Amino acid sequence: MAPHPGARVRAVEGIESLGRWGRERIEGLGRSGRFVGDTLVASRDVSTWWPEATMHARELGVRSLPIALYIAVFTGIVLSLLASYSFTGAVPLYFVGTLVEKTITMELAPVLTGLALAGRVGANIAAELGTMKVTEQVDALETLSYDPYAYLVVPRVLAGTIMFPVVVGLSMVVGVAAGWAASILLLGISSEEFVKGLRLFFDAFDVRYGLVKSATFGTAVTWIGCMQGLAARGGAQGVGRAATSAVVYSAVIILVLDAFWAVVWLLGNKP
Amino acid sequence: MKKANDFAVGLTILAGTAIILAATLWVKQADIGRDRATVSARFRDVGGVRVGTPVVIRGVRAGRIEAMELKDSVFVVARMTLDPTAELPVDPVVLLNESSLFGEWQATITSRNAVGRDADVLRQLSETSRDDEVLPGATLPDIARLTAVAGRIAGDVATVAERVQVAFDDQAARELRSSVRSFSELSTILAQTVREQSNNMTTVSSDVRVGVQSLVKSAELLRDVAERVDSSTARGEVHQIVADAGEAARQLRETGRRLAVISEQLGRSQVRLESFLATSDSIAQKIHSGSGSLGLLVNDPTLYRNADSAMRQLNLLLADVQKNPRKYVNLRIF
Repeated sequence: MAPHPGARVRAVEGIESLGRWGRERIEGLGRSGRFVGDTLVASRDVSTWWPEATMHARELGVRSLPIALYIAVFTGIVLSLLASYSFTGAVPLYFVGTLVEKTITMELAPVLTGLALAGRVGANIAAELGTMKVTEQVDALETLSYDPYAYLVVPRVLAGTIMFPVVVGLSMVVGVAAGWAASILLLGISSEEFVKGLRLFFDAFDVRYGLVKSATFGTAVTWIGCMQGLAARGGAQGVGRAATSAVVYSAVIILVLDAFWAVVWLLGNKP
Repeated sequence: MKKANDFAVGLTILAGTAIILAATLWVKQADIGRDRATVSARFRDVGGVRVGTPVVIRGVRAGRIEAMELKDSVFVVARMTLDPTAELPVDPVVLLNESSLFGEWQATITSRNAVGRDADVLRQLSETSRDDEVLPGATLPDIARLTAVAGRIAGDVATVAERVQVAFDDQAARELRSSVRSFSELSTILAQTVREQSNNMTTVSSDVRVGVQSLVKSAELLRDVAERVDSSTARGEVHQIVADAGEAARQLRETGRRLAVISEQLGRSQVRLESFLATSDSIAQKIHSGSGSLGLLVNDPTLYRNADSAMRQLNLLLADVQKNPRKYVNLRIF
């Protein structure tokens, strides 16, 4: 019996929608790749992006320090309390220092700071560039022979890549110091015990690992913010969507990169 | 504005970098620019030791391991930096061991005399000893290996316990309990018996002691006798005794012969006595049956009374005769 003509049409439409979904995904990858390529090409135009770099570095890095350090302080305090709560029985309390150092240096300072800056920096960049895009300021730059990638994207990505490790590094120091203070003041652990645990399994690799990871977070957050902002369409609503997308994608990419570095750098590479 | 941005960013980067570097160096206890003594040690295996592991002398941290490298295809040479004020012990060796249950290792510099008698450690020290400035080293077994050995022992014990459990079911346990109870009772009885036997043995021992003392006295007496015999022998008294004994034997033989004669006479007397008794018995039977004069006398009360009366009269007569002899005897001479 021949199939009903309506059923055949629906089947064709289903296949078409699947193909469209796949094409859009591939288009997204292609746009991302092309964006990265254009940014790398634009980075050669040093005279255009260099004067803007420090301004963005101050905006993205220096002004992000308060929120980053605020997070670090409370992370350190909570972590030391959690460690002492967990270390009952046979585990000596000086391991609070070990746990605080390892956890903050290698994981919490980069990831929590990265997520906080993804909200602040990524949304900021996406909103700023999205507004410029929908108000045709980007077109005006092109009209004035400015490469929008060299003028808008490269200094922001560069600032994020450089300043994220600085902010995260200071978060590491402040977080461990906060955990140290909490251990002494709230847990009754002596300073010598905490320092003993701190030094017990410390390795410079811990710091290096956290800083490199945070640099990639900075690159990803600024790059995603720029891409979403320059892709904004349709006025204020489009700018809002771009900002939201920038934050969501940044958070997802930060967690993916976190897992990536753990697999690539930690797995089978015990110091 | 641009200069202010540059300054703020530059200051932040410099401050951040300086703070991170200083914190890292402080935690690592790095001492930049300070003179350090360097000592190397040779090991077969370095276990869980890594660069940065503390070096300890008499329990005090005196340095850290700076580098490790493979040497001669079978050894590992670890280079240690030490506090210049730290003095090495006499004939120093380096032991790598875990300093806690949590995977912390340390290198302990100690004297070879203080190592102890562990055969494996002494073998490692012997293997890594060379005529150079590199100290011999040995690695003590880590806690994981000790735990593994303990785990195997625990497994064996568990297996044995399981087998015992299989072998000793409830029935066996009851029987065992009964056996133990019986054994306890038996032990009680045995203890009591032993106690009694002990008392007996005490008594026997006492008796034996008395007997021994008697034997001693007897021996002394025997010795005296022997001495006397000896002295008697010396004086010729033995011959006299033997002669006397021969005479006594002869007399005894004579006495025996006489006794035999007497015995023979006694035998004949016995025959006659038996005959007499038989006759007496016959007479007694006749008397008892009342036959014959005597029988009648015995069995007939009248005769008895007559006889008694006669005896009374006879007595009266005798009394009268004694009283008045002349009445009945008239002796005349011429």
